[in-house]
Amino acid sequence: DGVAVLPAPQNLSVQSTNMKHVLTWSPVTVPEEIVHYSVEYQGEYESLYTSHIWIPSIWCSPTQRPECDITEDITATVSYSLRVRATLGSLTSTWSTLKHRFNQNSTILTPPGMEITMDGFHLLIKLEDLGPHFEFFVSYWRREPGAKEHIKVVRPGVLPVYLETVEPGAAYCVKARTFVKAIGRHSAFSPTECVKVQGEALPL
Amino acid sequence: GLRRCLISMNLHRVEESFRGIKTAIQAKDTFQNVTILSPSETLHGIKPLDVCCVTKNLLAFYVDRVFKDHQELNPQIMRKISSLANSFLYMQKTLQQCQNLCHCRQEATNATRIIHDNYDQLEVRSAAVKSLGELDVFLAWIDKHHRGTSAAS
Repeated sequence: DGVAVLPAPQNLSVQSTNMKHVLTWSPVTVPEEIVHYSVEYQGEYESLYTSHIWIPSIWCSPTQRPECDITEDITATVSYSLRVRATLGSLTSTWSTLKHRFNQNSTILTPPGMEITMDGFHLLIKLEDLGPHFEFFVSYWRREPGAKEHIKVVRPGVLPVYLETVEPGAAYCVKARTFVKAIGRHSAFSPTECVKVQGEALPL
Repeated sequence: GLRRCLISMNLHRVEESFRGIKTAIQAKDTFQNVTILSPSETLHGIKPLDVCCVTKNLLAFYVDRVFKDHQELNPQIMRKISSLANSFLYMQKTLQQCQNLCHCRQEATNATRIIHDNYDQLEVRSAAVKSLGELDVFLAWIDKHHRGTSAAS
């Protein structure tokens, strides 16, 4: 077993946005050498019931970069412990463990990107593809006093979405937000976007 | 309507994790003519009123016994079992939020005891492997009986 003379990676932290989770750390540098890293994780279950078991990260055991996409390692809404060590040939550092356990329910949810288009007199919306976790709540209304707001729930992967058949000369507004059932949270709404339909308004 | 204590979770990912290990795990099961979950004696006869209690008891069965008793060296399978175990832990937490609605009648307790008795009949590693191999039975049962609006969360 390699003697632990390599310094252990420092400054571990997780950045998580829209259910994509990346673990980063400060690189361990050895002049003219390539240091590799190994990442392992432990879910809350392992911590409680089998604390001796650590599971190699699917993409980063080993890796050369001082970061690791742990999205596919985090598969439940429980807290996870993460650790990293450096390796250079037979030399191995000690493990560095993330100070605070990570739970995917802390991910930052951003308003979805959206594009409003017209297909003839059909109002359509195209939404940013954020992956299988995401549903979208689309709110749309005709821009006139007392107009009723409609809500449509869009499942992942359904693009673009028909919203409504519009009338010439009228204006319609749309906004959307995401919802992630796995963590029971939604994002803020996107900025409202309005479109004016070509042609003369129909006589009353 | 009657508020129910349900698991409001997308089981798709859990089922996907199980499909990833089903063949490998079931291949290790050397007692093919024996069943642990005995669905006909246990799960098929469960009434709506007992769904929450049986779910809670079987989640505990897997979390406290099966996942612990199974020893795995293959990293791919380890990952899938970890995903299952942590998802079951999450489901347990979800049910705890409405445990005042989760009463255990004798029928539910009897069904759970049959499963534990079956488990105890086998050597522990064999029992754990068989129980893991039967997870699709339990997941299908959860999927069928936990639809609708949950009082939890």
